[in-house]
Amino acid sequence: MPLKNTRVALAAAILGLTFACATASAEDGVIRVGMTLRMIVENGIKYGQMTRDELLAANASGGINGHKVEVILLDDECNAQKGVANANRFIEQDKVHLIVGSICSSVTLPLVEITARAQVPQISPTSTARAITEKGSAWIFRAAASERYFAAVHAKYLAENVGKKVAYLYTTDAAGISFATAYQAFMKDTYGVEPVFTAQQQETDVDFRSNLLKIKSLGPEVLALAGQSDAISRIVTQALEVGIPRKVARVSASAASNAPVPETAGDAVIGLIFSAAFVCTDPRPEAQAFVKQVGEKYHVRCPDHDFAQAYQTALIVKAALAKADLKLTDASLAADRTAIRDALAGIRDFQGVVPGKINFCADPTPQCRDGNRTPILVEYVKGGKEYEMKQLATVTFEPDFGLKK
Amino acid sequence: MWAGGHVRTRLAARIAALHPLQAWGGALVILTTLPLLVFNGYQQYLLDLVMINVVLAVGLNIVKGFAGQVNVGHVALAAIGAYTSAVLSTKFGMPFWFALPLATLATGCVGAIVGVPSFRLEGAYLALATLGLAESVRMFIGVTDYLGASIGFGDIPPPMIGDHRLDSYYAYYYIVMPIAFIGTYLAYSILRSDVGRAFMAIREDSLAAAAAGIKVRKYKLLAFVISAFYAGCAGSLAAHMAPGFIHPDDYNLTRMVTVILMVVAGGLGHIWGGVIGAALITLIAEWSRAYYQYEFIIFGMIVVLTMMYMPRGIGGYLDRRRVRRRFVALRGQGGPQGTVSAAVGAGAVGAGAVRGDDRVA
Repeated sequence: MPLKNTRVALAAAILGLTFACATASAEDGVIRVGMTLRMIVENGIKYGQMTRDELLAANASGGINGHKVEVILLDDECNAQKGVANANRFIEQDKVHLIVGSICSSVTLPLVEITARAQVPQISPTSTARAITEKGSAWIFRAAASERYFAAVHAKYLAENVGKKVAYLYTTDAAGISFATAYQAFMKDTYGVEPVFTAQQQETDVDFRSNLLKIKSLGPEVLALAGQSDAISRIVTQALEVGIPRKVARVSASAASNAPVPETAGDAVIGLIFSAAFVCTDPRPEAQAFVKQVGEKYHVRCPDHDFAQAYQTALIVKAALAKADLKLTDASLAADRTAIRDALAGIRDFQGVVPGKINFCADPTPQCRDGNRTPILVEYVKGGKEYEMKQLATVTFEPDFGLKK
Repeated sequence: MWAGGHVRTRLAARIAALHPLQAWGGALVILTTLPLLVFNGYQQYLLDLVMINVVLAVGLNIVKGFAGQVNVGHVALAAIGAYTSAVLSTKFGMPFWFALPLATLATGCVGAIVGVPSFRLEGAYLALATLGLAESVRMFIGVTDYLGASIGFGDIPPPMIGDHRLDSYYAYYYIVMPIAFIGTYLAYSILRSDVGRAFMAIREDSLAAAAAGIKVRKYKLLAFVISAFYAGCAGSLAAHMAPGFIHPDDYNLTRMVTVILMVVAGGLGHIWGGVIGAALITLIAEWSRAYYQYEFIIFGMIVVLTMMYMPRGIGGYLDRRRVRRRFVALRGQGGPQGTVSAAVGAGAVGAGAVRGDDRVA
């Protein structure tokens, strides 16, 4: 009975696939790195693969201190529940020595609890929410610049060079809210200025014109807009459509550095300012070598700061693994994890591809665990597929900048 | 009939001859000892997750599978349960043991409100109304600072017994498993009661049900409220499980589709549908994430194949096999006339077991 057999085979296949995740083996002598990233968008997939490739590249030259590196890369879709599941798998089943991730703050935050409890070192490449390092975990490190630095660099620049009358329009995702909240707080604390207008729209909204028309009537000096890249390109395009003049400075969060923004907004993006950790026009030789490498291998003409920070994270991890004294047996798992944490905490003045030097130290405080204190300010000078940017400023902050005294 | 078939038939007959309470007792023993079979903490975490999803899916099965009411807002109700429990325990210092029932109760009240549109709406229109609720709840949470907005709500405490924190996945299993077990047993009892029969009558034809004297509005509302209790309970359990962090995106449309898939793949209207579907879909979703480039294709293909070969879900397929086997056995004892109903009555708990393509061949 072929139909019956098919059904039995199907049921067996489903069960087999389902329980395939139950098998695991932790090989001695291998450094295991678990990576949980957002692998559902083109950029995310590419820089996830790039980070994995960079770590695995050490195997070609005999590994790190003779130890082979194994990378387990899982997708978390920027979803907290999926990130938690990945972290549990890494820690309990794959017995990883280190976790890299996540991209999104909303996933990195619950992971901080898990890695602290299991005592596994964790390094986040791009999450910016300040709460990540303020939880007091001794096991978390951040290679990205914290939002407390990002907000200040453009707020100060614009307040001193353009004006303090700021209208805010942002979407309800974490990136949009944290950008607007931090900008508003900085303006209030530093200059005692309240916003001339503020409005939130849903992240799936496509029409921002009604709020933009209100903003136009109020005559602000700065239009602060934030959200994911598609929302940013829509807002800058529609701002011109409703007649907000170009002399009103437009400023956005680091998501504005993602290629879809200038590509879809075209020349409407000209003049848009954003703070980021890296710009592909950075003339430093190491930055240009990175841009060339990404272009050749991953076919990305101008890697954004997410690419750069992910790559930088791989470099930091390799440097820490090289310094750590690892035994890499089942019995030494906890000691190896502690050794990697201590090696990460010993990273000083690490110069990778981003302009800022990375500094970590042992205390479980934001001063010690927010590694990059150097955001840059960037402006688009040309839109479309062949978009161009120029770097306006580079600022290095003190470790305790923006922290409550 | 070949020898293996005889053995299986005898085994099936013995299982069928068991008193229902014996079968439930056996299931409880197996579930209690299940953690002994897992190899590591991750698999224990998956077991916990499966149990929470069982509560969620069994709840949806009551309103959709038993009563035939389309509810696309089930995860929104879970979100209400999760956030209510989180607020009660973190902002008001309420222990888990009080936060859980209160959150469940609060969600049940919201369920009554959600059920009101079902008086006048059916099918796609009811789906749209409940979808509106789901999205508005998620959006409301996403912009409400008090609820953590789009950053998420963290530091939700685990259950405590005295000074002992039940924050390990192993300990938590012995909280979620009994709840899932009791929840499934209650659903089973509801299905076999007058209330369950009223639900099924409404599902088959609400006009005919009304003509037969069933208070359609009352039972529709009851289905939504009971279902909401389950959703609220599942939400609260998810919120307090380590690491005690919830996010509005945990309750988005993708999650809702996943929960619906649990019920559909498991078998709409079948008591075991929610249980089997929750276990299967949770594990498949976990497994497929390692193959991120093909994740959605793998997930989709498994679902499509299951639907092609088991259109009434796994529960429906198992029920049909059981009914057919019993029918064959009865036919051996006497004529086919009059025995079909005996076979169906003995074998099929789910009312949809002998409908459509699942009818006895």
